[in-house]
Amino acid sequence: MPKYQLINEKLLEVELSNEEVLAKRGAMIATTGEIRFAPAALGNEGMQGMAMRAVTSEGMGLMRATGRGTVLYARMGMHIHLVQLTGETLYIESSSVLAFDNNVRTGTYFQGNSGGVGGIVRGAATGQGLWTTTLEGRGDVAILSVGELIALPVTASNPVHVDPNAYIGHKGNLQSQVATDVGWKTFMGQGSGESFQLKFVGEGTLYVQPSER
Amino acid sequence: MTPFSLPNPRLLRVDLRGNSMMARAGSMVAYDGQVKFDKAILGGEGVFGALKRKATGEGVPLMTCSGTGAVYFAQDAAHVMILPLQNEKLWVESSSLLALDSGLKTNTTFTGLRGVSTGQGLFTTTVEGTGNVAMLSHGTPLELEVGPSYPLFVDPDAFLGYSGQLQQEFIFDINWKTFVGEGSGESFQLKFSGQGTVYIQPNERK
Amino acid sequence: MKLNPSNLPHNDNVNSYAFCMDVNGEVFIQKGRMIAYYGQLRFESLGSGPLDMIVQTAFNSPLYARDFIVVTGKGQLLLGDRGRNINYFDLEDGNLTVKASYVLGFEKNLVCRQSIMPGYLTLLGTGKFLASSNGPVHFMEPPVRVDEQALLGWADLPCPSYYYDHAHVRNALQAVGTLTGVRRTGEEEQLEFLGKGAVLIQSSEL
Repeated sequence: MPKYQLINEKLLEVELSNEEVLAKRGAMIATTGEIRFAPAALGNEGMQGMAMRAVTSEGMGLMRATGRGTVLYARMGMHIHLVQLTGETLYIESSSVLAFDNNVRTGTYFQGNSGGVGGIVRGAATGQGLWTTTLEGRGDVAILSVGELIALPVTASNPVHVDPNAYIGHKGNLQSQVATDVGWKTFMGQGSGESFQLKFVGEGTLYVQPSER
Repeated sequence: MTPFSLPNPRLLRVDLRGNSMMARAGSMVAYDGQVKFDKAILGGEGVFGALKRKATGEGVPLMTCSGTGAVYFAQDAAHVMILPLQNEKLWVESSSLLALDSGLKTNTTFTGLRGVSTGQGLFTTTVEGTGNVAMLSHGTPLELEVGPSYPLFVDPDAFLGYSGQLQQEFIFDINWKTFVGEGSGESFQLKFSGQGTVYIQPNERK
Repeated sequence: MKLNPSNLPHNDNVNSYAFCMDVNGEVFIQKGRMIAYYGQLRFESLGSGPLDMIVQTAFNSPLYARDFIVVTGKGQLLLGDRGRNINYFDLEDGNLTVKASYVLGFEKNLVCRQSIMPGYLTLLGTGKFLASSNGPVHFMEPPVRVDEQALLGWADLPCPSYYYDHAHVRNALQAVGTLTGVRRTGEEEQLEFLGKGAVLIQSSEL
């Protein structure tokens, strides 16, 4: 299993001993030992996945690093966070995926299914597409945020509203829906970028960044 | 005072318990509970203020947030600084204002020539009274004291605001100006003298 | 914490993004990086007459002569660089090569020269200097291969050479894509450092 370690809040070191790691193309900044790189497509989901990516442009350019040694990754001065998956699914914007390995299965998820209109509106507003990347399995995943990642717990008694432009991803059993706060809509419709919010209900963790796309 | 806190250096949390506060429009990133957002205007000084803002471009769209819950604010991953005002007056660049207690009074005042080089308005926002103010800073903000025996010189691009009994002057260093001309160098400096505190960011304004 | 002339750090970081320099005499700094100062300081271009002797001994790079100025006088100078991290290095009869736009300032007893590597400056001798970086600096020992975009510089080492991924070389031989259409990233083209010394990398690829 590749070892992930944060050298600082913006720099990730991955140690490989004849293993492989997949990471965002262009994010490698240094290597020691003997490491080889090859372009990789997102995930192991075969033809269907490829078709989905072609339709959704959710595909992210990945590079597969193999060999023995260390690889350092960083991305545009963004903060890096290790999220530990213990069998659950992480839903994450593809632009926020930095690195993961074979212990994790990737897929694409149609946000439109979640809360119906919610996903559709969100995609239309953020230009992120209606599709979100999913990472599922057991192991570490490195994700990116502009500024420190904010992890907000969502519980049955405490739903959380987010600005869709600050949303990065979520984990757990959450459903999203468009919040229709009329006061907000009428006000925000006037050119300040946001015309609605997303409301997350259920049990899980919401990931938000202190910056808007 | 409405409680303001920083869960991390770039994120402001405000706990509302049935009261209200004001924030820069579009800066809300998340909230829980029952919170309403409504359009607001900086200043509250009526028609004259609105005209003044229109002429100066100093207007920053604000919103009023009211209700019960925790609201989180952030802007372009800038650092956030909380200043608790105790019956004081703060002069702040409106582009650096993130949020303020609704008990505080805001206004715009003429501050002179600054706008010529930075594109900032000729007006600065003043915030007065008792309550919390949250300011944005690109990079960790610095609070620099000014005393009668130690005036302070500041790059106008790094300037965020000041409080206290301070005089502000524009220093045009002839020598400085001759070679800066093009590009990003400072063509003048701000000089603060008196007794008070100046807030700066380690960056140029964005 | 409120800072003033008596509690500011001496030649040290105030925080990750701001540095306080005690000036007493002459110091070279990059143009436009002064954010504030206390005391009596003057900022002069390298071309100004009285500085000729200092420039002749310490600054030997016509290409970058317009990017630097000399601070003279006595005072406490605060420097910031667009919110980048600021790092302080002490050279002892050493040599350190740094990307030119990240050289923030240096003492006049160091010699600053253009590196054979385009876009880099080499500092030689004994003295202190400041370099900025995107994110904290990470030191590595050779052998190591680095994406040039993330490189800050290197110390006491032979000049690096380019290393290309074999697939990239093969593609070039077959004239497939890479040379023309496909974007070249750090994975295909790296700088390889061998020998003894230190490589300084930034925590960002831009």
